[in-house]
Amino acid sequence: MISKETFTQFGKTLKGVMLGSAVALSIGITALPQQAQADETCMSPYMAKIVGQEDYIYVWTLGAVGVGDEQDKLVTVAANPKDKNYGKVINSISVGGRNEAHHSGFTDDRKYLWAGGLDTNKIFIFDVHTNPSKPTLHKTIENFVADSGGVVGPHTTYAMPGTMMISGLSNNKDHGGRTALVEYTNAGDFVATHWMPTDENLNGAKKSGQFADGYGYDVRVLPRRNMMVTSSFTGWNNYMMDFGKLVGDAEAMKRMGNTVVIWDLHTKQPKKVLDVPGAPLEIRCAWGADKNYCFTTTALTSRIWLIYEDDKGEWQAKDVAAIGDASKIPLPVDISISSDDNTLWVNTFMDGKTRSFDISNPHAPKQVFEQQIGKQVNMVSSSWDGKRLYYTSSLLANWDKKGENQDQYLRAFDWDGKKLTSTFDIDFVKAGLGFPHQMRFGSNALYAKAPTSKSADAIIASLSK
Amino acid sequence: MTSLNSFAAGEISNTQIPQLHGAGDDKTGYETKYYTTKSKALTTRVGKKTDLLSLIKQPPLGLPNVPIPANNPISVEKIALGRKLFYDRRLSLNSTFSCAMCHVPEQGFTHNELATAVGLEGRSGRRNSPTLFNIAYAEKLFHDGREDTLEQQVWGPLLAHNEMGNPSPGVVLRKIRTLNDYNGLFENVFNKPVNMETLGMALATYQRSLNSANSPFDQWYFGHNDAAVTPSVKRGFKLFRGKANCIACHTVNNDSAVFTDHKLHNTGHGFSVSTYQRPKKQRLLVAPGQYIEIDSDLFDSVSEKKPNDVGLYEITEDPADRWKYKTPTLRNISLTAPYMHDGAFKTLEEVVNFYNHGGTPNEELDPLIKPLGLTPNEIQDILAFLNSLTGSNVDELIADGFAAPVGDTQ
Repeated sequence: MISKETFTQFGKTLKGVMLGSAVALSIGITALPQQAQADETCMSPYMAKIVGQEDYIYVWTLGAVGVGDEQDKLVTVAANPKDKNYGKVINSISVGGRNEAHHSGFTDDRKYLWAGGLDTNKIFIFDVHTNPSKPTLHKTIENFVADSGGVVGPHTTYAMPGTMMISGLSNNKDHGGRTALVEYTNAGDFVATHWMPTDENLNGAKKSGQFADGYGYDVRVLPRRNMMVTSSFTGWNNYMMDFGKLVGDAEAMKRMGNTVVIWDLHTKQPKKVLDVPGAPLEIRCAWGADKNYCFTTTALTSRIWLIYEDDKGEWQAKDVAAIGDASKIPLPVDISISSDDNTLWVNTFMDGKTRSFDISNPHAPKQVFEQQIGKQVNMVSSSWDGKRLYYTSSLLANWDKKGENQDQYLRAFDWDGKKLTSTFDIDFVKAGLGFPHQMRFGSNALYAKAPTSKSADAIIASLSK
Repeated sequence: MTSLNSFAAGEISNTQIPQLHGAGDDKTGYETKYYTTKSKALTTRVGKKTDLLSLIKQPPLGLPNVPIPANNPISVEKIALGRKLFYDRRLSLNSTFSCAMCHVPEQGFTHNELATAVGLEGRSGRRNSPTLFNIAYAEKLFHDGREDTLEQQVWGPLLAHNEMGNPSPGVVLRKIRTLNDYNGLFENVFNKPVNMETLGMALATYQRSLNSANSPFDQWYFGHNDAAVTPSVKRGFKLFRGKANCIACHTVNNDSAVFTDHKLHNTGHGFSVSTYQRPKKQRLLVAPGQYIEIDSDLFDSVSEKKPNDVGLYEITEDPADRWKYKTPTLRNISLTAPYMHDGAFKTLEEVVNFYNHGGTPNEELDPLIKPLGLTPNEIQDILAFLNSLTGSNVDELIADGFAAPVGDTQ
């Protein structure tokens, strides 16, 4: 069953679903979703969502010196309790090199997973539909920097209709933080570079406060509001540097992002630069049809910020809550919003904790839960129904904890609204895999075969009834 | 054969070179809540090719003749080849790192944004990237002076594990041979293919062209234009060669000045770093004007152990050479922050204050380093003098760097 919530963001009706299917068939896809598919709550709205049980977790994993084959890999873990290999690694595909594996994202048809390397600027495109239990490397984009005119550090790979929007972190001129969004077709062909607004070239945007740093990090969209939003982190010099060395270098610490940019989604033009000091990282937008807001958290100042459209239609940024004890620099990293927009999970890397905030009033989040996940924690992924949460440990190769202070894991939990109950736990170093970073979910039902006896027209006709 | 001229990344059309020096991502004033960004657009970072050959043949006022090895004569083609190599990120093991990633043209051909360098895969360097302005005159290379010629020096960063990370010369040379845009270039310049020698010669020749002088000081002192500098600069120079005796190491000749004695000295700074005891608390700048006081051990769990640095001793193993580092040139010094071998001092004022206090006492402290007794006004005069050493052609050299092709995987 495809959930209603899945499509409210588009304002789509059943007709919208059918259109999507028709488009899929028209480009030669033989598979047709037969069942509603569950997935984490932080994905692009331009793809089918899932309300059921995920079958696989694809973990984009950093190669580490001294661990296994020492190179980056996409690791597949069986995540369905009915699977005889539940909680075990069932596939691993090494890609060569330590590319600073970081984030990954599906194309809008969910057939391919794009996984970026922040150091080497390669983008690895995995086929996850032919055999969802055993992804294969379909293609590698190796000319990202040259294509884009000098963008370095492909970070978020975010599905747009027929294209992938990739947020850069740096550039090939000074390895600093000035960067751009880069757009490719789903087939892997370069489309355009959209530079972040700087003081010298705001590109039509309004500098609403003191900052227009030109930095980038995450990208999200609210199609209903024709809005795209980006955040800002830091350049190659800093994200590749040893973390202790960075905090000891006063000059380098000035090269951190302090902005969130509101874009016109349709034209890809920046409209407004908002001041959000302290390195705003992940962005998560509400799903509700009447909820015109997104959240981000600032890594260095440990705050939750609300990016919202006010009653005059102006986009604003507002500091709405503290995360832990700022004097301890807990370093908020990944966040995850629930599909009902009532909960925001916030991980803090330094203390290894996950925190749950009640965001039913987005202007006044309240922390309602806190638990230690590991010695360090980075990513969190939630099932659509919010009942399962998955955590991984690695932040960046040279920012991770060292020696005995480190643990590198994928930890799965059930969540009943009050407590987390461990379901499985994989030690990625002991397993010879590396340092696990981002998780994406897979499902067999996503790619279920359409009845072979029916033509595409017949399938569309049956759906229209 | 591939034409080198076809690789210009972009050129400015006007004949007037705009002011280009300074980080494109200016963070001046970031320590205060009044900070506002002054960021430049990368799309406007375009340049203009300049006549580098003439900067070797006829260096600007104030510089002596450029020493050129007999076995590596200069030519336009050789400079162009070296320039192409210098900006080519593919010369590192994973194709992410060119020479110019640490020697950034608009950042004084050093790196204003980092105290110590960051190399391949983010590996830590111990020392600050030295400027390449006027490197042609250096008789010793690297902060510890361990190399003698630019031709040999280039292989240091290419092969260093924490710089460009290539495991062997063969790996570098094989890679260049596979790159179509180098087809015939080495053969045209050297009448032989790329090898260890020709690669070093090409890169050295480009670096040998980065000569910058004819500064206000040069125009006054060597050009006899009395109006070229302020009285404060003149007073500063008098102190420089008198009371402060900076000139003992930062040498000035009768008709030219490179501002270095090409020797290594123990100023006590290296000693103080090696024996530093950190305080229990420190202030961390987390956003413009926002500091948080943290326990100094807060980030120990995410920190590699800071490597020690004993300077020239590491080369000679002579205890008398502990914490000795090379005297740097002072030309363009206002463009090449941060200062000292480890980039510990952010401003020239910090440097002058350090010497005014007599450096840091230690067993091997150079006898030339002693308290100077400079007054605040005298310090300001010395700073005025140091700031008068910026060459008139720095923006021309930066523009030339901007116009160079950046080699990336195609």
